[in-house]
Amino acid sequence: MAFSSKPFRWLGLVLRILLGGIFIYAAWAKLKDPWELYALAISSYEVLPLWAVELVARTLPWFELVVGVGLIAGVWLPVFSSIVSALLVVFFTLMVRAFVQGKEISCGCFGGTGDIISKWTLLRDGSMLAGSLLLTWMAFQWRRATTA
Amino acid sequence: MKFVTAALAVLLPCFAANVGQPDRAKMIGNPSSPVKIDLYSDFQCPACKMFHDGLLKVIVRDYVIPGKAYVVQHEFPLPQHAYSREAANIATAAATIGKYHEVADALFAHQQAWETSGKVWDFVAPVLKPDEQKKVQALAKDPSIAAQVQADADAARKLNVPQTPTIYVSRGAKTYPFPGPDLGNYPLLKSLIDGLLK
Repeated sequence: MAFSSKPFRWLGLVLRILLGGIFIYAAWAKLKDPWELYALAISSYEVLPLWAVELVARTLPWFELVVGVGLIAGVWLPVFSSIVSALLVVFFTLMVRAFVQGKEISCGCFGGTGDIISKWTLLRDGSMLAGSLLLTWMAFQWRRATTA
Repeated sequence: MKFVTAALAVLLPCFAANVGQPDRAKMIGNPSSPVKIDLYSDFQCPACKMFHDGLLKVIVRDYVIPGKAYVVQHEFPLPQHAYSREAANIATAAATIGKYHEVADALFAHQQAWETSGKVWDFVAPVLKPDEQKKVQALAKDPSIAAQVQADADAARKLNVPQTPTIYVSRGAKTYPFPGPDLGNYPLLKSLIDGLLK
């Protein structure tokens, strides 16, 4: 079945809306509260110095918002889907690392007071990562098909 | 510890009227201060001892003494800690005679000792006068005191307090949880409180 076929187009649309919606919601959940709460979640991973924690906490939610809107709008799909995949690779890796280390910390996925990292949060974020990788792959296939 | 005790001495007029009122006696500072800091803590938890011995003093220095915030301590004895409920009962009983902070200081100072021996009372008794000891010992076994501790623990579970210590910083309708406060993340907590004070 060609990637330009109808079922793949529909699958792409569903993944775009799903991932875009999740990123917009995640951004909103962080932006509605003071940045310090998200910063606390980031700092509990113990991978960044405090100045970098503040920078990430203040900027990442806005970035997630732009990326989420971009995905839903369907513009520059290879670019936005690649960014989402890259972000999810980073998030998932950090969550797995914390889980393996036995840290009982908030994942920070939806703000500072989100779910504690568990098998369930890993399954959720792993599924999102798989979906975004598939979407990225499809996006590049579609671009190749249209430019050929 | 001495710093908190000294701060309490400064704030003594606020406590004078709190004898007989455990909730008020568990406060540090003036309840008319703009920011409220609710602390959920367990006497047998090592991180709570670190908070009590370290960051609590800093919060008292930076926010409580200047009248910007007040701290309300809540018991959250975790089931995996064999003696934390007994310690919470004794501290809550001591609150009724206005000696909560002295007892809390003693409990945290000797945490490892009573955790090992199981003899919680032995490390609390020296900070109380003989007549106070009798009252506190009797009250610690009173169902009403146990009910107060249970009410705190129930409130913590209802709030989904994720760990001990956890603090809730609030002003008016705005309340923000801050799990695991320590000296390392104090700049974030400070920024959060300062934001609420603006």
